[in-house]
Amino acid sequence: MIQNLIDGVLTGSYISLGAIGLTLVMHILRFANFSHAELLSLGAYVALVCDALVAALVPVFAVKLAPLSLTWALVLAILMSMVITGLSALLIDRLVFKRVREKGLELSMIFASFGMALIIRNVIGLFFGLSPQLYSRDIAFAMVLSRDPLLLVKPDQIFVLVAALLLMLMLHLLLSRTTFGYSLRAVAENPSLAQVNGVNLHRTIMAVWLIGGALAAVAGVFYGLSHQLIPVMGRDLLLPIFAATIVGGIGSVYGAVLGGFIVGIAGNMALVVLPSGYTPSVPFLLIIVVLMIRPHGLFGEARA
Amino acid sequence: MSITKYLWVAIGLAVSATALPGTAEAQDCTTKIGAVLPTSVDWGRPIAETAQFAVDQVNAAGGAAGCQIEMVLRDTQVDPKVGVDAAKALVDLEGVKLLLGAVSSGVSMPILTSVTVPGDVVQMSCCSSSTAFTKLSEDGKTNGLWFRTFATTGVQSAVAAKVAADKGYKTVAVMYKNDDWGQDMARLIAADFAAVGVEVTASVAVNDGQPSYRAEVTEALASQPESLYLALYPAEGTAAVREWISLGGTQNMILANSLKSDEFRDNVGLQYLGATLGTDTASPRSESADAFRAAYVERFESEPNGPGLANSYDATMIALLAMEAAGKDASGSDIAAAIAKVTDPNGTPVSADTAGFSAAKDVLSGGGTVMYQGGTGNVRFDKNGDVSAPAVVWAFSEGGIEEVEYMSLNDVDAFITSLK
Repeated sequence: MIQNLIDGVLTGSYISLGAIGLTLVMHILRFANFSHAELLSLGAYVALVCDALVAALVPVFAVKLAPLSLTWALVLAILMSMVITGLSALLIDRLVFKRVREKGLELSMIFASFGMALIIRNVIGLFFGLSPQLYSRDIAFAMVLSRDPLLLVKPDQIFVLVAALLLMLMLHLLLSRTTFGYSLRAVAENPSLAQVNGVNLHRTIMAVWLIGGALAAVAGVFYGLSHQLIPVMGRDLLLPIFAATIVGGIGSVYGAVLGGFIVGIAGNMALVVLPSGYTPSVPFLLIIVVLMIRPHGLFGEARA
Repeated sequence: MSITKYLWVAIGLAVSATALPGTAEAQDCTTKIGAVLPTSVDWGRPIAETAQFAVDQVNAAGGAAGCQIEMVLRDTQVDPKVGVDAAKALVDLEGVKLLLGAVSSGVSMPILTSVTVPGDVVQMSCCSSSTAFTKLSEDGKTNGLWFRTFATTGVQSAVAAKVAADKGYKTVAVMYKNDDWGQDMARLIAADFAAVGVEVTASVAVNDGQPSYRAEVTEALASQPESLYLALYPAEGTAAVREWISLGGTQNMILANSLKSDEFRDNVGLQYLGATLGTDTASPRSESADAFRAAYVERFESEPNGPGLANSYDATMIALLAMEAAGKDASGSDIAAAIAKVTDPNGTPVSADTAGFSAAKDVLSGGGTVMYQGGTGNVRFDKNGDVSAPAVVWAFSEGGIEEVEYMSLNDVDAFITSLK
């Protein structure tokens, strides 16, 4: 029971990171981006390549930071992947979403994002093959926190949790303490009014994609670190991330964080009451329950 | 030049027919048998050609039950609807008493329940492996008309239980893929482990395509088992096993054949798989199996490497032997009942070729029984029409996958019997 709770918090950390980017994009660009989860895959695979590159160029960095299975090479790779994935998100917007946004309806955007998701997923599969990949083939053993009840935690997972919380804190400061943060929120609130007040709409949208892409990359790497990289990981993560976004309330960064943890914990705790074959239904149930009680999510607000 | 002369000729023919039963007489008539196989898919055609090969050999031996055999082949397109229509046409219009097929369990099943059982027709499948047929037979709904020459998943689960017992494991947790096959395996393995006195501490269904298998692994781990049985596919198997090992789970693992993959070995890491054993069914190592290979190569100029070829050959041969044993104009039930006479472990051994069929005719006409030795070994059906198969226990090694133990058909049968 306590183990399930801990596992849920750890799972929640990367779902939250993914959900933050999604909630920003959904709120500011006003469309449900089904290709967002593919940015996680993209980020994870970019980091895989960068990791191999850095390790080959600077072999010193390939040494593990015990007890983590993380290496300096991977840390650098994560930073590189954040930039590359952010730019890719921007590029995808420029090539596809921008054009559709200008000409099409809201529904066209949703279909365009579905198409993008399929393209990204299959391109990754084409390059890396369909079988699982790993950052490190060694298995990082869990630490025993307590024997009775048996509590196990992997050092990597604690790193993931701490790093995720740090990133969230940084984002919070960015949004609440800087002019840029204010302009971002202003655009989300009312794009026309924000423009009238001198906010550069174009640059704000670019920033949203960059932030969303970078956070997705981190989430993807953290997922890969905890589990494995597989081209369909975006598909598998799509539902938990959407559930987190909707439960938290579209547009609310804090809601996305909370939603991520709720989905993670609920997924793990579900096994206590449900047979294991039925756990994938839990995110759906959460969405339904939350929407019935609070149609705009926990932190979401109705907008005109 | 009149009626008298024809009369004499007729009498002469009749005399010679009595003198040489089985040769002259066989030319007079043709018996149709039906085959519903997926000939429109690339792996289905060789199965059908192999069945026709067996029919040709039987015809060379003078046919079965006094008549030449004509196999009427229909395509199922691996579609239950098409398969049922084809089977119905064969039974109702062609009047066959024997139907070979289908390949997929999902096609064989509706044919069995809606065509062959109501029509009192023997159905002999080369390739359907679902245990749903066993269940149906146990419920008495097949009227003993269903047979298959393909081993069910039961063989693998029994061998896994044997491995656990041999290793002296007292407890085991089971993680299985949450689909028809996995659920089937989980159900069978639970019974088999219980039969050898290994306690199943947890049975956890694993849905594929989930972001994390942590929760499932935690549940299995909570029961603190001495060993772990896995009926998963490589993608989720790798994730689950890495999670399992990292959380300190036992490395005493038993794997179904689905995890017999280099990808799984490499991604989990050989250093953690030292105490791991896997199970699989194997092709028999007998002279008759080699003889089938040789005959196949001679006829088709390629090795019988596709799925179900030896099984298709044996299905056809056994069915025709049973037709021979049942005699002329036998009903479906008669033919089904005669199958025991041609797969009798105490009977005269006969080989799987023209000479073997001729030899079987002599023995059967003398009231004896025969033991058919075919491409899949000495085929023997249990009361549900199921066969078992030889099995191997394997382990991962530096070079890939190596065999640890080979269990012949008799070993497997003896072990499965000891479980019941």
